[in-house]
Amino acid sequence: MAAGARGLARGSADGTAGTVGRAGAVPWRRVATGDDAVAVAERGALGTSARVVVWPPGNLGLACAAADDVLAGLDRQASRFRPDSELSWLHAAGGGTFLLSDGLAEAVGVALAAARWTGGLTDPTVGDALVSLGYDRDFAAIGEDGGIAAATGGDGTPPGAAVAAPGWQLVRLDGPLLRIPPGIRLDLGATAKGLGSDRAVRAVLAAAGGQGGVLISLGGDIAVGGTPPRDGWPVTVAEEPGQAGQLVRLTAGAVATSSVTVRRWRRGGAEVHHIVDPRTGRPADGPWRTATVAAATCADANAASTAAIVAGAAAEDWLATAGLPARLTGHDGRVRDLNGWPGPEAGAWAPVPTAAGSHVYAAGPAMRPGTKPPGGGR
Amino acid sequence: MDPSIRDGAGRDGLRQARRMSNWTAAALIAGTGVAAVALAHQASVAAPAATGNAAAGTAPAAGNAAGAGAQAGSGPRVTHSVATTTASGVTVITTTRTVNGKTVVTRVKHAPATADD
Repeated sequence: MAAGARGLARGSADGTAGTVGRAGAVPWRRVATGDDAVAVAERGALGTSARVVVWPPGNLGLACAAADDVLAGLDRQASRFRPDSELSWLHAAGGGTFLLSDGLAEAVGVALAAARWTGGLTDPTVGDALVSLGYDRDFAAIGEDGGIAAATGGDGTPPGAAVAAPGWQLVRLDGPLLRIPPGIRLDLGATAKGLGSDRAVRAVLAAAGGQGGVLISLGGDIAVGGTPPRDGWPVTVAEEPGQAGQLVRLTAGAVATSSVTVRRWRRGGAEVHHIVDPRTGRPADGPWRTATVAAATCADANAASTAAIVAGAAAEDWLATAGLPARLTGHDGRVRDLNGWPGPEAGAWAPVPTAAGSHVYAAGPAMRPGTKPPGGGR
Repeated sequence: MDPSIRDGAGRDGLRQARRMSNWTAAALIAGTGVAAVALAHQASVAAPAATGNAAAGTAPAAGNAAGAGAQAGSGPRVTHSVATTTASGVTVITTTRTVNGKTVVTRVKHAPATADD
């Protein structure tokens, strides 16, 4: 608890008023949910929104501070949009062998493990394909004034042809040592938010000395830890923020949603979105517009929900093989509840079953405290 | 030695041994009961933490049993939704056009109601 409380800026001693979090970081805003038994705070982070929910409510200050550290670290390590991030440093170096920080090594390891698990439905070498589609900067950082933002294509070229991912097999990670061929640009978007939620849950629990429970949502990808509320954490499942949705309860593990209904833009006369099929380099065009998946960890759920969108017509079979409860929504609005995901007959607040075992962490590198990062980021 | 005395001593010894045996049995029964209560208490305290921590470790899934979602926590009762799982909460509408021979992109950000930056 002492580590988490260091440098806190609080509105009151118990963190129940004003802003909370690490001094100097983006302040968290308290959110009223109707329950005094938990404390909720929210702020923008990583181009989307982050939410911390804790009990006992007095843990909010230290929880936000712990989450601040995780979010800042992940941004420094793995952001494709920050020129001073460790990942950008790798890209600028143009291929070779690199000694990664522990944090980026874990992030790349999780992304590669997810690619292996999903059979390439997610692939961290999809970076160039995204840039080719015009997704060359942080969505939250562009067009603030609604005006002309930038020339297209990242390199100033007009909209280009689709670029298939070179393939995750070309990237080798041995502990903190990364070997990457020249010309490959990594994008960890299929796992990074989930990884961030998992890390934040771990950090909050450590800061709280294992006391109470915590829920972290990063862009709608939710992980929970500690002791859950009675009957679990009440969570809404929706396609877009602000929409009414299904009400479920989450006791353990995580749930994540991927959708092609947001982060859309027009490119070369065609409307595109940010979920790219690595096999073609084009936006995924399957029958499902939104996939919500429950898994043992948020990185697993994040990867699986993205993979389900990319898998298209094969999504149901893939999710069944993976044994993951899921809810798929088609472009025509039809909903499919799979593998134990509570259907309409279960009523509101039905529990979401959690799958056993992680497919993305076991293959990741062990954390090695003290390893020096190559680009100063950690 | 007088046989009656010898008999009396034998009966006393037998009674003493029987008393000792009874006390030993009572102590064993009581000890077993205390141990059982202690073990049951430890199990009830440890169970929720093991379930809830499953998402938090470096290999977080190891202790996370299938169907854990159906288990009840021992935390407070929470009756309102505290978070929404949804697509990432920023929508950008981008249009491409040509100005003086250069392709430019106009991007308009629509942040979700919950985002503050």
